[in-house]
Amino acid sequence: MESCQERSAIDRLLVSVVDDDGSVRESLPDLLKQFGLAARAFSSAEEFLVSDCVDQTRCLLLDVAMPGMTGPDLQRELIRRRQAIPIIFITADRDMIVRQRLIEQGAVECLFKPFSDTTLLEAIDSALYPK
Amino acid sequence: MEVRPEPASAEIKHLQRCINDLVSLLALPAIWSGSSPSQIVHTLLDTLTRMLRLDLASVRLKHPVGEAPVEIVRVAQLRGPMPPEHEICEALSHSLGDHSRKWPPLLRSLLGDGDVSIVLLPLGLQGELGVIVAAAEREDFPRQTEALLLNVAANQACIGLQEARLRSQQKRIADQLDQRVAQRTAELAAAEERWRSVFENSAIGVVLTDLNGRFLAANPVYEKMLGYSEKELQKLSFLDVTLEEYLESNRTLVGELLEGKRQQFQIEKQYRRKNGSLIWVRNNVSLVPGTERVPRFLMALSEDITERRRVEEALNKARSELAHVSRVTSLGALTASIAHEVNQPLSGIITNASTCLRMLATDPPQVEGARETARRTIRDGNRMSEVITRLRALFSKKEPTTESVNLNDAVLDVIALSIVELQKNRVMLRPELADDLPLVTGDRVQLQQVILNLLRNGSDAMSTVEDRPRQLVIRTERDEGDRVRLTVQDAGVGFDPQAADRLFDAFYTTKGDGMGIGLSVSRSIVERHHGRLWATLNDGPGAAFSFSIPRTPQGLARADGIRNIDASAVTGPGAA
Repeated sequence: MESCQERSAIDRLLVSVVDDDGSVRESLPDLLKQFGLAARAFSSAEEFLVSDCVDQTRCLLLDVAMPGMTGPDLQRELIRRRQAIPIIFITADRDMIVRQRLIEQGAVECLFKPFSDTTLLEAIDSALYPK
Repeated sequence: MEVRPEPASAEIKHLQRCINDLVSLLALPAIWSGSSPSQIVHTLLDTLTRMLRLDLASVRLKHPVGEAPVEIVRVAQLRGPMPPEHEICEALSHSLGDHSRKWPPLLRSLLGDGDVSIVLLPLGLQGELGVIVAAAEREDFPRQTEALLLNVAANQACIGLQEARLRSQQKRIADQLDQRVAQRTAELAAAEERWRSVFENSAIGVVLTDLNGRFLAANPVYEKMLGYSEKELQKLSFLDVTLEEYLESNRTLVGELLEGKRQQFQIEKQYRRKNGSLIWVRNNVSLVPGTERVPRFLMALSEDITERRRVEEALNKARSELAHVSRVTSLGALTASIAHEVNQPLSGIITNASTCLRMLATDPPQVEGARETARRTIRDGNRMSEVITRLRALFSKKEPTTESVNLNDAVLDVIALSIVELQKNRVMLRPELADDLPLVTGDRVQLQQVILNLLRNGSDAMSTVEDRPRQLVIRTERDEGDRVRLTVQDAGVGFDPQAADRLFDAFYTTKGDGMGIGLSVSRSIVERHHGRLWATLNDGPGAAFSFSIPRTPQGLARADGIRNIDASAVTGPGAA
């Protein structure tokens, strides 16, 4: 498995995906690579936190509802650790109130699954290059 | 020539006086008109005594109408001390006898101190009315003219007395009639008063209308209900105070009443009061048959049910609000589940398809990568189709069915459906099914959905476990209180004990790869089976989810050996 150090050496920005859904972990990294980005997928927040990719991650695609630590739990944990990683939430539950709250708490965006590749690209753009 | 003017002139004078007396006597009936028999007798005696210079005059009347026999006496010029009237009467009776009819017409008799001439004149042809006694001391009494006058007087008296008697009889009958009329009138007045009192003091509104609906009478309750006085109401018809929307049905009902199709009807409707406010009433309307004097009319007993309606409406509103809330709550949970189940695979499909296009668009095209993503797209599409099939199976049942369910069988079916996926996820499943498990009553498909959900939750909880076996235990057993318990125990990541309560709300429930339903729906299914669903942390790693539901009440049948339960098995414990 490639390490984060190797990835950053190629000077591609790393986007990490944290989602307990296998098909997301399987499909999203390939799309991100087509965007010219480096990508890593994690099945849980805990797995991401213990990895060596936290420091390298320039943008986090984060599922909201997960067993164990939830997406918002991870967001709070990263703030506590002073890891200022731009977060784009992705969720299958189309709940505008939750979305509003997540953005108020500092998320760049909250995308409802399924989302188009251009929507994702726009969100990542504004996460990597804030205006 | 001998001239005797004196006797001639005396005779003429005598005749003239006689004629005058006759005229006076003939005029008596006119004077007597309307008089009572005793008044007639008094006048007669006065007249005769004066006219004939009688010393004694008496009339004895038999059976005067409505009175006892009377005897009236006039004594005028008897010399010497006067005996009292009753003694004279007694003397007369003594010398003449009690039966006046037998009295001789003329006699001289000793009366008082003197000798008198007595003339007896019967009243009526047979003396049936009585007798007149006329007496004078003069020996020439009665002279010829005096006898004539007495006879005329007796005749006149007879006529007057008969008239008086007739009149008296008529009066008596008229009086009786009047009395009966008065009595009947009083009875009617009492009855009317009684009914009026019922009408006035009734606790509910009473109103009478003619066949066109025009008010005839209304009691105070009804007046108060509508705010109109009875007088004001009499200018209106019930159609004027009934709200438009009830008019048609009201008219129809009255029509049926008039046609004899019904004896009475009840209607709940709204009235508009005089002040414009609305009230609800319940009216019992009947047709009152007419009499000779009173035409048919309608009577309504009207009850104000505004307050009761208000309470009922509030209750209904609360009920429907409650129903709506619970429907929205469960629908909300279901919708979230459905959206989640559909959106997860859809997300994979779209992402893979997008990637595929981008790979084909590069120069050179990344054919191998594109092929891989297209393959994933097809796979996810199939997965989504399965999800939809499962969802349809779950929701196509409008009403949950109730049958006897062997939980062991249900578990084995679910295992068969999910074993491939469990193996793919490297999960080892260990069934521990009780041999003598009682049947439960419920919806087999719904219970299987819950079991499937728990299995997949357990499997998902272990998807990151690498340092220990991914072991999943599914256990059925008897539970205390005639219940059956099913437990799914995993060796996964467990859950935050502080979040135990939140496990069952939608935010936490909607996890797992394409699973049928979330934990919140599972719990509502279990609760519908009068059971409960809960989670506990293991002593070691992982968690256990259990539900416990009551066994079929007379379910003495043992679960093992009963694969197909039919309806008869439910009723007979010995069916096994």
